Amino acid sequence: MQAIELKNINFQYPLQDKKILDTINFTANYGEISLITGHTGSGKSTILNIMGGIIPNIIQGEICGQVYIDGEEQLGKKLSYICRKVGVVLQNADLQIVHKIVEDEIAFGLENLAFPAAKIACQIDLVCALLQLEKDWETRTLSGGQKQRLITASTLAMGQKIIILDEPLANLDKKSSIALMEILKSLAIAGYCVIIIEHRLDMLLEYVDCVWSLKQGKLVKVHNIRLHMQEQVAKMNDSATPFYENNEKIFSLQHVGYKVRTHYGTKTILKDITVDIEKGSRTILLGENGSGKTTLLRLLAKLYKPTSGNIEQYFYKRKSAKSQKELDRKFDKGRKAKKKKWFDTIGIVAQNPDYQLFMPTVLQEIAFRAKSKEYALEIAELFGLTSILNRHPQSLSQGQKRRVSIASVVVGEQEVLLLDEPTVGQDYESVCELVAILNTLHERTNNTMITITHDMRCVEALCDKAILIEDGIVADIGGKELVKKYFNI
Amino acid sequence: MKNFFKYRTTIHPIIAIFTSLFIIFFGLFFANRVYVCLYFLLACYFWLLLLGCFRGCIHTLPFVVVLVLIFGSISYFTTKSIEHAIIMSNRVLATIFAIIPGFSTSAVDTTRCLSSMKINRGVILGMLIVMSFFPLLFLEIKRVREAMKTRGAGSIFKPKIFYRAFLIPLIVRLTNITDLLTLSVETRGYSLEKAPYTIYKKCHITLYDILIIFGILTGVMGMLFVNLR
Repeated sequence: MQAIELKNINFQYPLQDKKILDTINFTANYGEISLITGHTGSGKSTILNIMGGIIPNIIQGEICGQVYIDGEEQLGKKLSYICRKVGVVLQNADLQIVHKIVEDEIAFGLENLAFPAAKIACQIDLVCALLQLEKDWETRTLSGGQKQRLITASTLAMGQKIIILDEPLANLDKKSSIALMEILKSLAIAGYCVIIIEHRLDMLLEYVDCVWSLKQGKLVKVHNIRLHMQEQVAKMNDSATPFYENNEKIFSLQHVGYKVRTHYGTKTILKDITVDIEKGSRTILLGENGSGKTTLLRLLAKLYKPTSGNIEQYFYKRKSAKSQKELDRKFDKGRKAKKKKWFDTIGIVAQNPDYQLFMPTVLQEIAFRAKSKEYALEIAELFGLTSILNRHPQSLSQGQKRRVSIASVVVGEQEVLLLDEPTVGQDYESVCELVAILNTLHERTNNTMITITHDMRCVEALCDKAILIEDGIVADIGGKELVKKYFNI
Repeated sequence: MKNFFKYRTTIHPIIAIFTSLFIIFFGLFFANRVYVCLYFLLACYFWLLLLGCFRGCIHTLPFVVVLVLIFGSISYFTTKSIEHAIIMSNRVLATIFAIIPGFSTSAVDTTRCLSSMKINRGVILGMLIVMSFFPLLFLEIKRVREAMKTRGAGSIFKPKIFYRAFLIPLIVRLTNITDLLTLSVETRGYSLEKAPYTIYKKCHITLYDILIIFGILTGVMGMLFVNLR
């Protein structure tokens, strides 16, 4: 039975000269999982907004065509009416949480739909068990993946028969992704209509019944799903020269622990991390959501201080004679932090590029830390940004922002590059290009790269050494074979 | 009944609203009664500190010190009168102390409480967004400051860069957050019109809520009595 039907939909955002959706037709049935794929910025989320009633109720634009839900025309209906039929999980989970406690957050939607209190309690218990959440967790202390699970749980609890999810696997580790897809599959079997917009097709192959591809405003149904998906999830090549282990360390972590104080007591993020990171290597941090990978990255960047243990860093003075390498002591504990010098040595690419972009044009953004304007232009060309050099960085699409933020960091030629989920929200081609660029820069500057990623398409291509973190300790150390084992490639 | 006597660090939203209104209204109205008003405001501060609002009291303390010093000094140097400086300080204190009860209420209790009183849904949505927004605001400021450091733009000796690197990401983020919060709330069934609504957990008035409002009212009565005498 047909759940959603879009007929001849055209949509154009205000102040834009081109339609983002050009006469698209789409159907999704009950009992099926439908997937919509397409490049970053191609208009996938716009389709979600139309189906969920967000367009034209909240986001304005020129729309024509028909939207049917259960055979009933929806255009012109209020969002409060549509949301009773269609559950929507939006992108950026961390910005959607309104309450302090997991239980209250899940209850929020159920209260709005006037579920009886006893039913609310049942639904909360059910979705918490399904998505591995604890009712009394404080929402602000959750990891990115846990927040994603919470927002998904809040929508699933509301019980609409049509569920649309925009990048639900972003920030989720493999185990959580599989668990979520299993839940969605069982909902589809139970007669629900599930529509997913996602870039991480590697996780979806086994679960989806129907695939739609959006290209240049046109939505086309994919007939050979397996072939289409395999093209999109092919493992990327590692173009860098293999790294041969040496004894030259750049970081040495001894019994590093990290705890945070919450309203409900102390929460241990890292218990005891003892590991060395070799100079010139590409290290991948593996682990489930909430295992402390981002915390470890922030400890290495000196954005946090360990609550126990010690992190030694081994940076050599650049001007010292090659035969007599002299350790640069200025970053040592006890000395006054020389922050600018430190961040000239360590480059950090944050999960969200919005924080790191502030100059009026892309060129100025990249040139901000560059040794010369020529070098900035060279890096811009390497990242494929030459056509947008005069655009304001904050006016770009999320994928372009991500590239600009990475380019503006690596232009500083830091000895160490810390990357936190650099491929989130990027389509396959963009990820391939980005990985190739990072490896080229690694070859050229011999930097030490430490990356966190859940993206199994590119993880091997960015890895010489892998560190698996579980329950706040180092559970395993290895090379590409550990990555293969972890992702079951 | 067991919870009635339980010590809590949050106030009942309605009590918080009335406490704030009493503090700001009487604090500003009687600011000219130099020492009486000052004693009243200080008593309110310590009363709130004692009865569970210590987080709000501690958070506002740096602002109290800085703003009182700034406005008190301006007033003193323009009028050369210590009394005028205290009057100005009273106004600043009344405004800041009125915020403290707001720090000690939660968005969820406020939403449930106001919904049960059939208050306009638009007003409740506004309060919900504002209350959810403030914890995020502080977190966002922290993250922007970190990003500034990592990009080498954290020096106050380069004010142009400092201002750009701080304000632009912060404004972009805050705009995104408010847009997305509104979207998130509305897609989860929040209606601006009259619609059936369930209160999952009721927020009950406790002994400490009664003591807070009783103490503030006693202060107000005392101030009125001194002024009428």
